[in-house]
This record gives sequence, structure tokens and C-alpha cells, in this order.
Amino acid sequence: MDAPNSPDNQEPTLREHAYDGIQEYDQKLPNWWLWSWYITMIWFVLAWLIYYQLGVGRDDAQRMAEDLAKIEEVRQKELEKIDDAKLWAMSQDEAVVAKGKETFMTTCVACHAADLSAHLAGNKLPGLPLNDQEWKHGGNPTQVLNLVRKGAPDITKGMPAWEPQLGLDRVVDVVAFVMSHHKEGEPQTLAADSPLKAEAK
Amino acid sequence: MSDTAATAPKQLIEFDDKTVRQFMWASIIWGLVGMLVGLLIASQLNFFQLNFETSFLTFGRLRPLHTNAVIFAFVGNMMFAGIYYSTQRLCKARMASDMLSKVHFWGWQLIIVSAAVTLPLGLTRGQEYAELIWPINLAVAVIWVVFAVNFFWTLAKRNEPTLYVALWFYIATILTIAMLYIVNHLSIPTSWTHSYTVFAGVQNALVQWWYGHNAVAFFLTTPILGIMYYFLPKAVERPVYSYRLSIVHFWSLVFIYIWAGPHHLLHTALPEWLQYLGMFFSLMLWAPSWGGMLNGLLTLRGAWDKLRTDPVVKFFVAGVTFYGMSTFEGPLLSIRAVNYLSHYSDWTIGHVHSGAMGWNGFMAAGLFYWLAPRLYGTKLHSTSMANFHFWIGLIGILVYVLAMWTSGIMQGLMLNQTNADGTALVNPAFLETLNAIRPLMLFRIVGGLLYFSGMALMLVNLALTARSGKPVNETREVALLQRNEKDTMPVTETFLNDPVAYLFAGMLLVLGWLFLPPGSDIVALICAGLFTLIAIKKFREKGAAWGGWYDRLLANYLPFTILTFVAVALGGLIQIVPTVVVNRARNVEDRIQKIYTPLELAGRDIYVNEGCYNCHSQMIRTILPDVLRYGDYSRLGESIYDHPFQWGSKRTGPDLAREGGRYPDSWHFRHMQDPRSTSPGSNMPPYTWLYEDKFDQKTLPKKIAVLTRLGVPYPPMDAAEIRENAINQGIEIVKRLREENLYTEPDRKIVAVIAYLQKLGQFDTPQVEEKLLTTPVGIPFPMSPVNPDKARRARQSDTASVAP
Repeated sequence: MDAPNSPDNQEPTLREHAYDGIQEYDQKLPNWWLWSWYITMIWFVLAWLIYYQLGVGRDDAQRMAEDLAKIEEVRQKELEKIDDAKLWAMSQDEAVVAKGKETFMTTCVACHAADLSAHLAGNKLPGLPLNDQEWKHGGNPTQVLNLVRKGAPDITKGMPAWEPQLGLDRVVDVVAFVMSHHKEGEPQTLAADSPLKAEAK
Repeated sequence: MSDTAATAPKQLIEFDDKTVRQFMWASIIWGLVGMLVGLLIASQLNFFQLNFETSFLTFGRLRPLHTNAVIFAFVGNMMFAGIYYSTQRLCKARMASDMLSKVHFWGWQLIIVSAAVTLPLGLTRGQEYAELIWPINLAVAVIWVVFAVNFFWTLAKRNEPTLYVALWFYIATILTIAMLYIVNHLSIPTSWTHSYTVFAGVQNALVQWWYGHNAVAFFLTTPILGIMYYFLPKAVERPVYSYRLSIVHFWSLVFIYIWAGPHHLLHTALPEWLQYLGMFFSLMLWAPSWGGMLNGLLTLRGAWDKLRTDPVVKFFVAGVTFYGMSTFEGPLLSIRAVNYLSHYSDWTIGHVHSGAMGWNGFMAAGLFYWLAPRLYGTKLHSTSMANFHFWIGLIGILVYVLAMWTSGIMQGLMLNQTNADGTALVNPAFLETLNAIRPLMLFRIVGGLLYFSGMALMLVNLALTARSGKPVNETREVALLQRNEKDTMPVTETFLNDPVAYLFAGMLLVLGWLFLPPGSDIVALICAGLFTLIAIKKFREKGAAWGGWYDRLLANYLPFTILTFVAVALGGLIQIVPTVVVNRARNVEDRIQKIYTPLELAGRDIYVNEGCYNCHSQMIRTILPDVLRYGDYSRLGESIYDHPFQWGSKRTGPDLAREGGRYPDSWHFRHMQDPRSTSPGSNMPPYTWLYEDKFDQKTLPKKIAVLTRLGVPYPPMDAAEIRENAINQGIEIVKRLREENLYTEPDRKIVAVIAYLQKLGQFDTPQVEEKLLTTPVGIPFPMSPVNPDKARRARQSDTASVAP
């Protein structure tokens, strides 16, 4: 964009009129400035054209669906490898238990207490005790795993689902930590309000 | 022109500088108050004890006080001081009405005082920078009109034929703020202190950020640019760098700014086409913003030595430089990929403070150091004190902004980091990320303190300056303009001319490209391209005539004002009208939120009053880390009955969109009484008064009546049923709490808040019917526009079905 009224001389035009003593030059616009602006406009046109008219790329909903499906696939593969025996074995593995303890102490401790008793200084905390042999949702390691992953069936009264936020690996570690307070084959009782009792009937 | 001036009748006029002095002092004093509140709330983020377990001193109530005080009291009064001073000189006329000036000044201060009382009391509309309750909204609108009448009346009486660029910016400011403020505050009162906005959910979000973003543009930017155009050349005594640049950057700035609002809602439930428009217009806004910076900085050519000696010039140059920096950062943050990291984080806080402290605060300081000696007919009391203010202010800003950049980027990275195969979060605990940025939040207090001290020094310096002189009102002999020397352009010449015609036709074609059905859209784009080429050719041939038309336009304030209004109104119309028409509950396809019961509604109003939205968002973005941390991403229909929407803009705490059912009632009960009992390390204030105060049962029927009128499908209930329903639900919650040895009454605020929190995230799946989504009624296009997102989906499925 050439300045229509600027001759070849170096001095820019000084506009004649003064506003309260303020005068204005009439310099041509800096080229680098103009071009950086044109580039943003061209970018708008090209990007819109490619995305909306040519339909290239995924939209947010498609992207989310695909990403989540991928995660679910990986999870299913890992879950196939896990059973009660494996979890009991992990509960004896000090390294795994230590990792589980770390997560437990930041995420679970507020409701279940550091000693798993769900009591702090004589006060009952919102969670259930995990160091006794009474279970509300089943005491087999895979049952515990499922509960931590998916949360309690009636979540208004209990445990939220932790798998999305913690990821399956951390959940498995935490379950190993909890099961390290138990022994394979120890006697188990179902709590009076256990939904599993109703199912058994 | 000089001939006319010689023969014209002359008159001695006295400028109204008293009003300027009043606005100046008001700005400084309110500015200090606002910054002090800022220091307090910054400290509360580190030391929750500073909330003092007192309702009116909690972060959620004081943060709106801080933002409103800095924007409307500090910058508002500063803007009025600058505008009143420069407009009189640029028009060679005293302000049209002393009465209106007085009403404007005292009315504005009264508004500020009422805001300072109501906000700590928890009386709020719950939308950012639009928190003030409806009676104050009305007062703001009235006072703004008073200001507008006074200003335009002065323009009409001017003795200067043409409008200088500073006045263009003032005109844009006055018009646009009026438009934004009125539309975003449309509400229906339920009592003298409470109202519901007429917009719900996504509509409310779009209108709010159209307003919020352009409050920054037209309250914090354009008036200050106008002030820059008058006071900076005055201070450096050099001509403005380029008139042509003024024209191009003024018109592009006011036109493009309006479109950029949706960049505050990237990756949310806002329809994607709006997000992309917001992002692309933000990028296109970068150059026009820098046009202002260039015109400011390059005006110093030949006078850079003043930077060493004159504190006024120091402040102006640093201020304009910060303007350039934050207007580069803004477009950067509006890129979706960057926003993925920065949104809801301290980066945004750093960004706005480099604008507010660097641009607004330093321009204010430069303005006042220049004005005060002239308003009191004396010299500045101490140049070295002003220089000291400059340096500690500058260091303060840098410390603050660097701390917030680091904090925002660090927390953003921690929150978004996933393991190698992208299946799990690396930092699942939100609190871990919050506590990682604590040291940086301390640095922010240090930066703020330095900046505040500088401002306090300015108060002292200027007070001593004022004492050393006495108030002076400048008098000047001016040549009176004759009627035929200004404001003579007929409507036809205003609109029916090449530049305007080409612009409008071009814009119409671009709109056709964006919204016409597949096929016609490409044709429109090609036409737009050809048209641009023709326009360029015409401009090369007849550029001088175009320039001549613009020069004549400048001698006509009303045509100029109308064209400005058209420029600022377009973007909003094109974004908001389709959203309000199409994105309504009856058109929602996948999920629709469950209606709040009376108790939940009472709890929601408490949530809004306590300002929970200042720290907690209710919007899970369409990004994987958000979905892993908080649950399935939020759909548009899941807040479609929310008056006001509570999507939030900052996460000091975790998102709450799917908080319902995540924890038992007892968890919330303990959490709000002592947040650290359930969340060790949290910085949330305790809300002990919720356990003593009763929620407001009396206004519930009225509130539900208003919401019904606004389209929320409540079943018919009479007042007694509503209250009974609320108390019965409260009794259920109290029973559940009692099982865990927690005791309260069913009519307490805490019970309502728990009911509300447990409702969050609940939705129905409506029966999908064939809906006439593609033909919104009432838009006068020859072909019916299509939703770009839907057209894209349709195109994709077409190609998919063709493919083998």
C-alpha cells in the first residue's frame, strides 16, 4: 500500500492543522506491521477453510471420544492380567505397597485415616474401616479393586470412583497397600447394610 | 482556516478544571483502596487465616470488590479526569453543563461507595465485573448517560471544526460501554437486592464474556489510548507519529475487539464455531493493538532524551510498552493450544495485571504527574520521588507478573501432565499442584506491595504539589465557530460513498462465507476475494478522494458516532443473536440439566453470594486431563437453566461441575466448616456462618416465579408448597448427617448449599426429535444461514459414506 501523497523525499508530511498545539505526521504504515496483520487475516481464511470447508481434523467431541476409547482399551488389557492371586502377591511386594501407601496418604487418608481405622482421635471419619474383617462391598482383592475404580453403587453415601483421576495403576497400588493389612484366606464377614447381601438373597 | 479564525468572533472561556481535579483525587484514593484490597486477597490465598472466619472479609466476596474498585473506581475516575481535561481543550469549549459534570462526579462516587458496601455483604449478580446488584446497575446506566450527554453536548458546542483522534476513542468508549453494560445487565428483580439475569447458561456465558472482554477493551483500553493521544504528544512536545496509522488502528481496533469475547470460553461447551471466531479475531487484533503502541512510542522520535529526565515520559513510555506486551500476550493466550495450558490458571492473572498495573496504572501515574502541577499552577513537588515511584512500581509489576507466569505455567503443566501412554494423570491431587505454587503466590504479594507503595508515594507527592500551589482554572481566548463550519455532512454522504460501501459489501460476503450452506459459502469467499482486489484497485486510483471523505467526516460528530456504533455493534449481533435464538433448552439434543428443587435453588443463590465462582469453575473442558480429573466433559445443556451461569474463569480450587454425588453430605459438612479437615493443605476459607444463618425461605416463591417466567419449566407450586418442599429436603439431609453424629437444622444455609452441591452434574437425556435447528427465525438473510459446526459434521459424514 503506497502512500498516495508521499513523494520520494525522506521527510514525512506534517499535517497542517494543530489541535491544542498537537500536530500529526502522516507517515506511511510500517511494512512489517502491515504484513504481520495480513498474515493473521490469511491465517483466519486458510484455517477456517481447511477446518470447516474441507472438514480436515477432528472436532472436540470426536477427539474426546477417540482419546477415551483408547484409554479404555489399554485399561481392559491391563485388567485382564489382574486377578485375586496377583493382587495378593502384590500386597506382599514392598515396592508396590510403598507406592500404594504414598497415594493412600494423600488421597484416602482424609476419610479412612492413616491406620485404616477410619477413626481419628476417637472420632469417626466419613470412610469405613479397612483394617477389620468386615466388608460392605466384598473383601476379595478384585472386589476391593472394583470398588476403588468405580466407587460405591450409591455414591451419595460413600466412596467416589477413583479410576479416572488416579489411573488404573495407582488404584492397583492402593489396593495392594490396603490388602497388605490382610491375609489371604482370613475370615470375612459382610456388613449388615451390604448391598451384596441383598444380591445373595 | 486561519483566515476564518482571524475574522471570527472571539470569546474568553474558562475551562472546568475543578471537575478534573476531583476525578484525579478520587482516582488516586480509590486506586489505593482497591490495591489494598488486592493485597489482602492475595495474602488470603496464602494464609487462609486472613479470612478471619468473617463472612464479609472472605476472598469470594472481596475479590469482586478488588476488581470492581480497580476497574471502575481507579481507572474509571482516571479516565474521566483525562477526558474532561482533554475534551475541553480539543473542543476549545468548556464542558457543556457544570450541573451534569457535578452529577457525574458525585453520582459515580456514590456508586463506588454503594459497591463497597454491598459486595462485602454478599449482594451480587454473580458475573465477573458485573457483580453489582440491579439498583446500582440502574444508577450506573443513568450516570453513564449523564456523562454521555455532557460529552456529546460539548462536542456539539465545539469551537474546533474537526475531531482529533483522542475524541474518536472517547466516542467509541462511551457508546460501547453503554451498549455492553445495558445488555449484560438485563435482569428481572426478585427483591430490592437480588435479580436473575435474563440469559441462561451458554447464552449468559457468551454475553458475559462479550461484556467482560470488551470492558477490558472499551473501559481499560480505548479511553486510555485517547488519553495517550492527547497527553503523550503534550508531554514530549512532538507531533504524533502517524495520522494514517491512527485511522487504520482505530477502526480496526473497535471493529475487531468486539468479536474476541469467546476466547474466554475456549474448550468449553460454547459451540465451536464461536470459539474459533473468538480465537481468529483475537489473532487479527494483535496488529491493530500494536498500531496504538507504535503511534505512542514512535511519537517520541526526536525526544527520547526526555525519557531520562521527565518522570511523566518514563511512565508513559513504560505504560505503552506494557500495553504492547499484554496485547501480544492476549492473542497468544487466545490460541486454543496455548489456552489448553493457561486457562483457569495464574497466567491469566499475570496477563491482566501487566495490563492493569503496567498500562492503566502507569498511564494514570504519567497523567497525574503531568496534570497536577498544571491544575495547581505550580511545579511537581519532587521529581526524584516520582522517579522512585516509577522504579519501585516497575519492579513491583515485574515481580508480580513473572511470579504469575511461572505459577500459571507450572500449575498448568502439573495439572495437564499425563503418563507416557496418556492414560492417567501424573498429579491426580489438585492440592498438590496448588501447594507447588505457594512460593510464587508469596512473590506476588511482594510485587503488589512494591507497586502499592509507589502509588502511596504518588499520593504524598501530589498532595504536597497541590499544597504548594492553588487550584487554577485555565482561561483561554477562542475563536467561535460558525454553524456552517462543522456538522454539515448529510446522511447520504456519510453512508453512500466508496469506502463505506466497499467495507460493508466485503463484510457481507465474508459473513456469507462463514454461514451460508455448503457450496454457496465457497462462492461467497471467492467473491469476497475478488471484491477485495477491486477495492484495492479503486483505493490506488482514488485514495485521495477516500482520504478527503474521511477528513470531512471528522468535522461531523454525529455521522462519525453513528459509524462507530455500527462498527462496534456488528460483532456482538452476529455472535449473540444466533446463540440466543438457537441455543435454548428446547433445542438441546443430548443432555439437559435437572431443575433445581427449591432448597437447591436457595443453596445455589448462597453459592453465588459467597462468590464461590471466584475459585471454582463449573465447566469440564473438552480436554483429556480435565475429563480424567473431573469426569465427562460438560455439555451445553447441562447449564441451560443456570441464571447466572457459573462456568468460572479461575481454578484456585477444583472444578465442581460434577461434584454432585462425589462425596457424602457429611464430607461437605465437615469441609465447609474446616476445609483442612477433609483436604489437608487447602487454602479455602472456613464458612462457619453458614452453620448459624438460616437460608432465605421468604423470597423462594418469588424467585421461582421469575425463573419460570424466564423459561425454566417448574411445575406449578404455591408458596406454601415451595417452602414445605425445601424444608422436607432439608430434613432428609439433616437425617443423613445425624447418622454420622453431625448436627444441624434443616433451615440452615449449610443444608441448602449441600443440597445444591449434590445436585451438580445431574442431567436428563431428552427424547431426540427432529428439530428445526438450521433455520433460526428472524434473521433477515436471503438464504437461511447454517451452523458451521453442523455443516462440517454433515460434510464429514457425506465423505465417509462415499469412501469404500
